[in-house]
Amino acid sequence: MKTRKSVWLAMFLLVAVLLVFGATRTGGPQTQQDRIDSLTAVLACPTCSGESVFVSRAAAAESIRAEVARQVSAGLRTDEQILSYIEQRFGGEVLLVPRATGVDALVWALPVAALVFSIFLLYSAFTKWRGNKPESPTSQDEQIVARALNTKSDEQ
Amino acid sequence: MKSNNLVKIVSTIVGIVIAMFFVVLVVADPDQDIVARSPLLGQPAPAVTSETIDGAQFVLERRKGSWVVLNFFNSTCVPCINEHDLLVDFANSEASNLNGAEIYTIINDDSSDAVRDFFNKNGGDWQKVKDDNGAIAVAFGVARVPETWIIDPNGMVRLRITGELSPGLLSEQVNKLRDGFTS
Amino acid sequence: MFASAGISGTVGRAFLLVGFIGAVFGAFAAFTGARRNDQQIIRLIPRFSTLSFAAAVGAFAAMEYAMITRDFSLAYVQKVGSWSTPALYNFAAVWSALEGSILMWVLVLAGYTAAVSFWVRKRMQDLIASWALGVMFVVSAFFFLVSFFPANPFAAGAPGVLDGPGPNPLLQNHILVMFHPPILYLGYVGVTVPFAFAIAALITGRVGEGWLVATRRWSLFAWGFLTFGIALGSWWSYEVLGWSGVWAWDPVENASLLPWITGTAYIHSVLVQERRGMLRVWNISLLVATFSLTILGTFLTRSGVLNSVHAFSESSIGSWFLALFAVVLVVSIGLIGWRGDKLRSPGVIDSPLSREAAFLANNVLFAVFAFVVLLGTVFPLIIEALQNRQIAVGAPFFDKLSMPIGLALLTLMAIAPVLPWRKASTETLRERLFWPAWCGVAALVASLLLGAYGLAPLLTFTLGGVSAGAALRQVVLATRRQGWRGLVGRANGGMIVHLGVILIAVALGASNSFSKSQELSLVANVEANFSGHTFELKDVVEVRDDRSISVKALVLVDGKKIYAPAITKYTRIGMNVGTPSVRTSLTTDIYLTLEPPVRQDANEARIKVFIKPMIIWLWIGTALMAVGTVLAAFPGRRRKPTDATSAPVEVAAS
Repeated sequence: MKTRKSVWLAMFLLVAVLLVFGATRTGGPQTQQDRIDSLTAVLACPTCSGESVFVSRAAAAESIRAEVARQVSAGLRTDEQILSYIEQRFGGEVLLVPRATGVDALVWALPVAALVFSIFLLYSAFTKWRGNKPESPTSQDEQIVARALNTKSDEQ
Repeated sequence: MKSNNLVKIVSTIVGIVIAMFFVVLVVADPDQDIVARSPLLGQPAPAVTSETIDGAQFVLERRKGSWVVLNFFNSTCVPCINEHDLLVDFANSEASNLNGAEIYTIINDDSSDAVRDFFNKNGGDWQKVKDDNGAIAVAFGVARVPETWIIDPNGMVRLRITGELSPGLLSEQVNKLRDGFTS
Repeated sequence: MFASAGISGTVGRAFLLVGFIGAVFGAFAAFTGARRNDQQIIRLIPRFSTLSFAAAVGAFAAMEYAMITRDFSLAYVQKVGSWSTPALYNFAAVWSALEGSILMWVLVLAGYTAAVSFWVRKRMQDLIASWALGVMFVVSAFFFLVSFFPANPFAAGAPGVLDGPGPNPLLQNHILVMFHPPILYLGYVGVTVPFAFAIAALITGRVGEGWLVATRRWSLFAWGFLTFGIALGSWWSYEVLGWSGVWAWDPVENASLLPWITGTAYIHSVLVQERRGMLRVWNISLLVATFSLTILGTFLTRSGVLNSVHAFSESSIGSWFLALFAVVLVVSIGLIGWRGDKLRSPGVIDSPLSREAAFLANNVLFAVFAFVVLLGTVFPLIIEALQNRQIAVGAPFFDKLSMPIGLALLTLMAIAPVLPWRKASTETLRERLFWPAWCGVAALVASLLLGAYGLAPLLTFTLGGVSAGAALRQVVLATRRQGWRGLVGRANGGMIVHLGVILIAVALGASNSFSKSQELSLVANVEANFSGHTFELKDVVEVRDDRSISVKALVLVDGKKIYAPAITKYTRIGMNVGTPSVRTSLTTDIYLTLEPPVRQDANEARIKVFIKPMIIWLWIGTALMAVGTVLAAFPGRRRKPTDATSAPVEVAAS
């Protein structure tokens, strides 16, 4: 019904506007603690397996947290520089986010490929199912049925 | 039938992926080399300024001119305890050498008292340096103990050994570096 | 073979041997009886399952007895037992390390085998039951064997030891250690039951719907406990670990999540098989995957190939589990390939706008999600094997990829409950989604008014609102039609589970995006402010007992109550553990941790304050999921028994 459709349209517009408004809003400036937390969240704790320095309670993680806190409060280095400082000390494996180049990029590419592939499978399955509609009777079939029905009514 | 072929094809692909997975898992090796890599090898050693447990100042830069061995240590770590005697022997043999290496212990996540007690009981009279907020460990990229680092008289990092020392390993490596060293 | 000291050791090992023999004989009886269709042999099965279960109980009891009496002649008690551990934690110490955990697995699996054996006792003419029990006996025998050889809890320890260090300190400071592992195992091990029936269906060729319906409650039971176990693990992580989060994408967490993901996919797609007879291969594959993932997860976490918070020391046990994983996969894939022709179904899905299609989309998303989690967990291994360098894949990767998947799943949760089976028109959809959509708008407006920002959390709240509306609509309609019976049954119970999931999704969205934290250096009796709350250090005290020295900072929060974050040093092990102190409310949690270094004599302390919104809704959502699962297990409105399985249930005009 047209009224309903226009209500839906209005609803979508409203949601879109609100989302744009909310998405561009921020919760205030980034504090030093926020900066420390976001940096430590992308550094891997060297003695754990996949835990970030932010999460881990290991001694090595505590030391790295203290170092990051020191550098952030000193305010002399950018985020990139602090990360590469740690990376230069511990070797490349300290970065928790796999790079987007080389073999490491596979970890990002394969899930996308899997999604695309499964959507493709779904799509081809649906096309196959659509094509499997039961055949409609041909005119010959209808004649046979009509003859059979006539015979029956004749008998009765 | 087409669908049956599909099942067979999918099964084969899954089978191959899993076989490859197996190869990866079987090859996966939790062991590590004893002589380890580090981005600091061949670079100037990080600046270390700290206190020893006796209150004296320790500045790594002032040790230039001698070979320096840094041993990252924790009194409860089993391999550290195991290798302690080897370090004592090493220190003694180096003491009689004119060009002998100086050995320092960097305390890793441990209290000064515990370290002092350990050394009182087990010997070793070299200086033990405090590292209260782990800054030295981070500077060297040390996450696990024990680790032993060799620094040459020019202040350049030459070797990094992770894990427990085997008998003679440290002397052998220091001698090799010393022989090949030209200031 | 029995060279283990102490009476508990010998008794325990004897029980394990008996249990193993029982399982082997049980497997023989089940397989031979099923092959020859010999009811005489089949009748022996319950005896073996009871024997095996009794032996498992005996072995576990022997282990507990050794632990409680601090029998240090056993190596395992030397590892995790201690005179200074309190009784409750000492009891739980049995499952705090590898060997004891395997023993618990043996116990739970033997219990499930006995329970299934009892459940089918009147239907043994149906050979599927025997084949399924045979499979369960084989898996059971494997675990008995593992507990006998590589993971032997009754091995003799070094002589002359009089005390031990006790369990890992993280496992002796919160009561949840009593509940989380057993409950998780009830789920984790429980997926063996539907798997066994799937294999039995493949062997007998009877891959129709009968066995699915029969094992529905077993699958739901296992899934429910797995869900609850994972939630308890998150709660433990929050209360104990001190980083203020609930999920770290740790390999052990991922190992428990992977079978949950495929299990959830199964719970949905099995409905399509029941209604339309389709997706047979897929459902069987899901069950095989779920079980295999439990074995793979155990391999990854026990072999030392990866390390994490719970992972125990390396042992040859890795190769055992790898071998089981291989055998399970080879046998299952072989069976599926062999039975491929029988598994084909004539059904089609008519329209992409139908509930079947929604379940298919749901399965695609869950499959991709499982792939992402598995890939991220094993990728460091793969890179290390290929290029001999170590990389780390952690939370940023998983968070980034699971966000779009989560949002897509929320969208499906909004639409699927209002989609009818077979086909729907857009008019139907628009009509049925009208009020749920306004719920979504209301949720968006409310969250904006409360100060929310950021596209991802706002989308989460909006979609959560719509899904909640759709789920509530279903429940309201059902209760209007049938009274209290409108709350039970698969569909309605499922809607309540969905409500729980939505609460969890919204709470996660809020707490992940809007948490704030700050380190405060507090001086005694001087008030500090953060984020609208006041914190005043009252005192720093030290508490000693025979296993630990605890330094606590007594902090007065908002002038009301004193919270005591602490750092505890466990003297026997030399490990420091930080204990957070949490003030929970319906809107936010105030989470305090004490930062080292701390001195007891000083009048100052450095604490870190986390303000975490909506955390309690995670636990409320979990409770709702548990309630919904129980409701879903009850029989709902029944179709006429003479109807075809795929006949539609009458839906009152809505």
